[in-house]
Amino acid sequence: MLTEQVRQDQLANDLANASTPGYKPDQSTQASFGDLLLQNSASGQDIGSLDLGVDIARTSPNLAEGAIDQTGEPLDVAIQGPGFFTVQTNDGTRYTRDGQFAVNAKGELTDSIGDPVLDAQGKTISIAGHTTDLKIGPDGAITAGGKTLGTIGLVSLTNPAKQGDNLFTGTPGKAPAGTTLEQGAIEGSGTNPASVMVDLITSMRSYESMQKVVNSMDETLQQGIQSGGAL
Amino acid sequence: MSEGVYAAAAGMAAQQSQMDAIGNDIANVSTPGYHSERIGFEDLVYTAEQNGAPAGAGAATVDLGRTSAEGSLEQTGDPLSVAIDGPGYLQVRQADGSIALTRDGQLAVDASGALVTQSGQRLVPPITLPKGADPSDLKIGADGAVTAGGKSIGKITLVDVTNAGGLLSAGDNLFTPTAASGAPAPAKDSTLEQGSIETSNVDLGTAMVDMITAQRGYQLASEAIKDQDQLLQIANQLVK
Repeated sequence: MLTEQVRQDQLANDLANASTPGYKPDQSTQASFGDLLLQNSASGQDIGSLDLGVDIARTSPNLAEGAIDQTGEPLDVAIQGPGFFTVQTNDGTRYTRDGQFAVNAKGELTDSIGDPVLDAQGKTISIAGHTTDLKIGPDGAITAGGKTLGTIGLVSLTNPAKQGDNLFTGTPGKAPAGTTLEQGAIEGSGTNPASVMVDLITSMRSYESMQKVVNSMDETLQQGIQSGGAL
Repeated sequence: MSEGVYAAAAGMAAQQSQMDAIGNDIANVSTPGYHSERIGFEDLVYTAEQNGAPAGAGAATVDLGRTSAEGSLEQTGDPLSVAIDGPGYLQVRQADGSIALTRDGQLAVDASGALVTQSGQRLVPPITLPKGADPSDLKIGADGAVTAGGKSIGKITLVDVTNAGGLLSAGDNLFTPTAASGAPAPAKDSTLEQGSIETSNVDLGTAMVDMITAQRGYQLASEAIKDQDQLLQIANQLVK
């Protein structure tokens, strides 16, 4: 039941983020607890094993790409293919697929919450004085009036883990081959409302059946106690 | 236990603020110089539940300022209306003495002959018509140079900020510069067009689609709450 509760909480979060750009839904795998070997306490003879139920083994974000939404905003960039943008936060370098960019007072390209976006060399990109005439190429090169201002860096990420604010932690690697950027678009949320609703119902029904199991165990114990007392 | 209820509630609140922004955009579909709001969504912190399985706290909106697309220019024939072609703002002084920026170029002449906005703020630097000059004789050049009856009386200065998203909406089509936006500096490459206004850049079609999306997002999050409620009910039936 506890496992299903966690699953329900994750599904609720997926639905809450149905509009979050670059959001990746959670994927949990369940594993059974280690079995206990029961022994006869008097003779020490093995009786059999006892299963202690299931537990969440690991949770990882499902990195399947969300749909691309056209916005027409010059500072919106969608990643087509695998890979992440790198941003400089107060806690160090983080990774995101949310391409709703903005500028800060220094003229640096930032993510939606103001963390500077980095190029492939780990440097910030200054686009001061350019907004409407900004062009971002499929390779991430930012040009304005024929002048190159910088190139948005992309990395691949192993063991990505979500940490909120659309940011991920993980181990960065080389830029993924074949990935392109699209200006004037953002990657929509990876939440598929229909499949999440189905998962919610399935999860709730198994929660319900667990409850029935607990109740019938309770009844069995009660009967055991009553018949034991009658002896 | 039941963090999901709060995650879903946060998701509903985020969709609600998106809805509010769209509502405001639609209300300003005829406001000259109005640019629609740019709202972003983000997920919230993750806390470890059972066995370190992360559960998120929902979603929130981030204000990304305004969209940058220019509204179309509409000919008014009024010599006192100017449209800004390109990025930038007109600079005006508010009643408290502070500087504010606007893209609404429907100007007027106040009692002392100064050029003011619809809500009465004077341009910075101020431009005053000489006594007896007819506002219909006013000529405003593409570079902002103002002449009345052939005589130069000043220049309308266009300014821009580094981060337009950091500007604070002050109502009356005005924005005030903040530390996040950077100080206003003269705008490059932008020109003025006399006798026109920039219409609102709100596209009703897009606004309607966004509204439906927000409404469905709200509905989805509420389904998650309903489900969590049912879960608690089942748990409650454990004790008969």
